[in-house]
Amino acid sequence: MEVSHSVKERTIAENSLVILLQGLHGLVTTVDLRDESTATGRVTNVDAFMNVRLAKVTFTDRQGTVSHLDELFVTGRNVRYVHIPDEVDIRATIERQLQTIHRIRYFGGRDKGRKEFPRAKHK
Amino acid sequence: GSAMSFLKRFPPPAEGVRHQQADTEAVLAGRSLGSGTLYIAESRLSWLENSGVGFSLDYPTISLHAVSRDLSAYPWEHLYVMVNAKFEEEERKEAPVAEGEEEEDDSDDDTEPIAEFRFVPGDKSALEAMFSAMCECQALHPDPDDEDSDNDYEGDEYDVEARELEQGDIPTFYTYEEGLSHLTTEGQATLERLEGMLAQSVSSQYNMAGVRTEDSIREFDDGMEVDIAPVVAGQFEDAEVDH
Repeated sequence: MEVSHSVKERTIAENSLVILLQGLHGLVTTVDLRDESTATGRVTNVDAFMNVRLAKVTFTDRQGTVSHLDELFVTGRNVRYVHIPDEVDIRATIERQLQTIHRIRYFGGRDKGRKEFPRAKHK
Repeated sequence: GSAMSFLKRFPPPAEGVRHQQADTEAVLAGRSLGSGTLYIAESRLSWLENSGVGFSLDYPTISLHAVSRDLSAYPWEHLYVMVNAKFEEEERKEAPVAEGEEEEDDSDDDTEPIAEFRFVPGDKSALEAMFSAMCECQALHPDPDDEDSDNDYEGDEYDVEARELEQGDIPTFYTYEEGLSHLTTEGQATLERLEGMLAQSVSSQYNMAGVRTEDSIREFDDGMEVDIAPVVAGQFEDAEVDH
């Protein structure tokens, strides 16, 4: 289970559905890109900016040409959809990721350690 | 004549070069630009032919990059980079397209320009390192125009480290993250413990004269909890001492 070492990234992840994508680590997933190409591969990393790193990828470009890539990094900006595999229990995945973040955050006990901010500021 | 007018002469980047790969051919849309050196720097991606001319790509314009070892798709293992921009190619003039007209090579109306670069290193075992260096640099340039996500974490409620260290300059603070990712589990645990200790001692500065009372704790009950028992006693609590 991958959680960022960055406080800022953990806070962003915790307050958005990126946290769900991070829970897909190790699973084979299809990512639809903004330009309508698609990439199917094993998720090796998703960061708070929704940059997605996949391994052993089948890439279909917008013309339909298929190629195979050992590793692929798509910038968050260019991700349109991420297909959540059917077997994934979405709620359990989110809860598991949150638990991991909280384990890091409250390391040393609930009343010790740095407190991060649970809520984003809304304008 | 050659239409590669986007090639310019410039000195190789000197700072923040995460990876450098000599003997690397650059290919744009299937046409070779020659052999040179690829510089994967934090500020931009640059390639300089051995003659000294080359080009740079800004990370925000890069949609994706990949390692391709599929020789049936392209005969050499390479780093593939897709860029959201148009580059001049031979026999393809950049004639302005009036609104309502379709470009002849695009079937969709709203297609954005795409340029495909391939960087073919002489040493193909370097591809992993090249790919990783690009991932790291790309992550340094998150999309500033990200309107879809509610990432409005600026200001008091979120800048934990900035607040603790009393500085607003977040980017410099994060440059050591590369080191963070190399910590062992034990090292990470130590770091978290030390950061926790620092947080508690620094957070004492937010109380009047370093005194924590039940009242002051309640005052800050807006989601931010102030710790009661400092692990490091006394070291930072002299709010009245001039430094």
